[in-house]
Amino acid sequence: MEIHKTSWPMRILVFVLFVYLLAPVILVFPLSFSGDQVLRFPPSFWSTRWYSALFANSQMLKAFWTSLSLAAIVTALSIVIAVPAAWVMTRLKFTGRDLLFNLFTAPLLLPTIVLGLAILIVFASFGLLATMHGLVFAHLVVTLPYALRVLAVSLSTQDRACEEAARTLGAKPLTVFFRVTVPMLTPGIVAAAALCFLVSFDEVVITLFLTGPRISTLPVELYNYVYNQADPLVAAASALLILLTLAVIMIVERAMGLGKAFVK
Amino acid sequence: MPTTSAPDEHLRLEGIGVSFGAVNVIPSLDLSVRKGEMVAFLGPSGCGKTTTLRIIAGLNKPSRGSIMVGGRDITHLPIHDRDMGMVFQSYALFPHMDVSHNVQFGLQMRNVPAREAEKRAAQALEMVQLGHLAHRKPKELSGGQQQRVALARALVIEPSILLLDEPLSNLDAKLRDEMRVQIRALQQESGITAVFVTHDQVEALSMCDRVVVMRGGRVEQFGTPTEVYERPATAFVANFVGRTNRLKGTVTAQGTLTGAGQQLRSATRLPAGAVDILVRPHRIRLQETGEADNKVEGTVSTITFIGDLVQYGVSVGGEEIVVEEATRRGRSPLAAGDSVTLGWSAEDTLIYPAGEK
Repeated sequence: MEIHKTSWPMRILVFVLFVYLLAPVILVFPLSFSGDQVLRFPPSFWSTRWYSALFANSQMLKAFWTSLSLAAIVTALSIVIAVPAAWVMTRLKFTGRDLLFNLFTAPLLLPTIVLGLAILIVFASFGLLATMHGLVFAHLVVTLPYALRVLAVSLSTQDRACEEAARTLGAKPLTVFFRVTVPMLTPGIVAAAALCFLVSFDEVVITLFLTGPRISTLPVELYNYVYNQADPLVAAASALLILLTLAVIMIVERAMGLGKAFVK
Repeated sequence: MPTTSAPDEHLRLEGIGVSFGAVNVIPSLDLSVRKGEMVAFLGPSGCGKTTTLRIIAGLNKPSRGSIMVGGRDITHLPIHDRDMGMVFQSYALFPHMDVSHNVQFGLQMRNVPAREAEKRAAQALEMVQLGHLAHRKPKELSGGQQQRVALARALVIEPSILLLDEPLSNLDAKLRDEMRVQIRALQQESGITAVFVTHDQVEALSMCDRVVVMRGGRVEQFGTPTEVYERPATAFVANFVGRTNRLKGTVTAQGTLTGAGQQLRSATRLPAGAVDILVRPHRIRLQETGEADNKVEGTVSTITFIGDLVQYGVSVGGEEIVVEEATRRGRSPLAAGDSVTLGWSAEDTLIYPAGEK
C-alpha cells in the first residue's frame, strides 16, 4: 500500500527482530526430526524416532492429558466466574470498586515464584498438594486476572444503549444479561478463553510447587525431563506444543478474527 | 404551565426534578401531552431534554415528581414494565441478531407465539420498506436502514408512547429530510403518542404538533410550531428557533419604543425601560418603497450568498442588521456601500425586557 511505505533499514530491522524472536521456535522443528542421541544442531541424520519415543512415553502422555483437562476446566471456570465479575465491575457503581478490581488483577503483577510459594504454604495445610482440584485452584489465581481484564475492557466498550433498548422492549435485567450482554460479549469471551487456556497449559512455576509423582502437568514433566537428560524428545514435544498453540489461535481467528478478539 | 388536565391527556409530568448533589439539573418540570400527538423537546445540549426523555422511559430516575401515563402513576414502575418504544440516537440494534429478530425481540418479551411474532415483525419491516432485508445483520445495513429497523422495533410492540432520542442526528442531510417525513407519517398512521428529542429546530417545527423549548432544565415555551416561531415567549426562544436580529432599545414612560436611533412600532407593549428588539432577517424588506410600520435607512456592509438566499449585513446607526432575501435570477444585485431603506411590520417587531438571554 502507498500509505505504509516502509523504508529499507526499517524493514531489515523488523526482519532481524523477527528472526531473533522466532529462531528458537523454528529451530525446534528440524531438531525434533533428529536421529541423534543428544540435542545437536544440525542433526547428523533425520528420523522420527523421537516422536515414536514421545508417544511411547506413558508418563508424558499422562501429563499431557492432565494438562489438557486442567486447562479446559480452568478455562471454563475462569469464564463462568469472570463474566459476572467483570459485569459487576463495569456496570455497577459502588465504593471500593476500583480497589476490588485492582485486588482481583493484582496476581498479574506479583512474581509467580512468590505466588507459588504462598499457594504451597496455604494448600499444604488443606491437603490440596498434588491433587487435580488443587491445581485448578492454583491456576485460577493466575488465569482469572487475565480473563477479568479482557472481559472488563470488552464490557466497558460495549454500547450500553443496546442493553437499555432491551430493557425498554420489556426484558428483565437477567434476560438482558443472557440475551444481549453475553452474546455481544462473545468476541471477548473467546479471547479470554484462549488466553486462559494457553496460560494454564503453559504454567510451570506455580505448578512446580504443587505437582508430585501422583499428578504432573506436561510443562513440569518436560522441565524434569530436560533436567535429567538432553535428547531430542523435548524438541518433538515442543514442536507439537507449538502446533497446539497455533491451533488455538487459528480457532479464535476463524471464530471472529484475531484483531476483533484481542485488540478492542 | 398547564395544571388542569386535558380530557385527552395521555402523558403527564408533574414536578419532575433531577438533582446531582446540590446541582439542580432540572428544577421542576410540568408537562401534559395529549393522546396521539407528537411533541418535540427542543433545546441546546445540556438543557435536560434527553434526561427528561430517559426519565419517561425509566432509564433515569427523577429526584422528585411523578409521571402519569393514561392516568396511571408509572414513576416507580421498572423500565421493562413501562411499555415504551424507544429509538436511540445510536439506534442500539442488537448486533448479534438479524433484522427480523431485532424487531421480534420486544414481542418475544411479551410472550407472543413465535409464528405470530415473525409475522408481525415482517409487517413492521414492510411498513418501513425493509421487508427484503429481514435476514441481514444490522452492520450490513446503511445508517438510514438501521434507523428504520430501530423504528420498526419500537413500533411493533404497539407501545403506549414512542420515544425518539435525536433519531436523525447521525444521518446525512438528504436522508434526514426523507426520514422526517417518514417518521411523521408513521406516527400519524398509527396514531401513537410520541415524544421527540432534538436540538434541530427544523425537525421540531416540521414534524411535531407541539414543541417544548427547554433551557437549563426549564420549559421556556410550550406551544404549536407557529406559536413558538411567531410569538416566542422569551428572547431565548426567538433566538433558538429561527434566526433573528437583536437591537438595543428603550420604551419611554409614554410607551414609545426607540431603537436603531429612531422611533419604532411593535405590536407588543412593555413597561418603560431598556428592551431588546428582535426582528427575523427574512421579515425585513431590503428596498422598502411603500408604507411600512418601521422604516430605517442603512448602508449595505456585507453580502453573503448562501444559495437559496442572500444575506445582507446592513449597518444602521452603529448597529448591524441582517436581512435575508430569496435569490432571484435576473435581478441587479446590491453592492457593499449601497444605501438601502429597510422596512418591516409592527407584528414582526418582537420586544423583550433587556438582558434576557
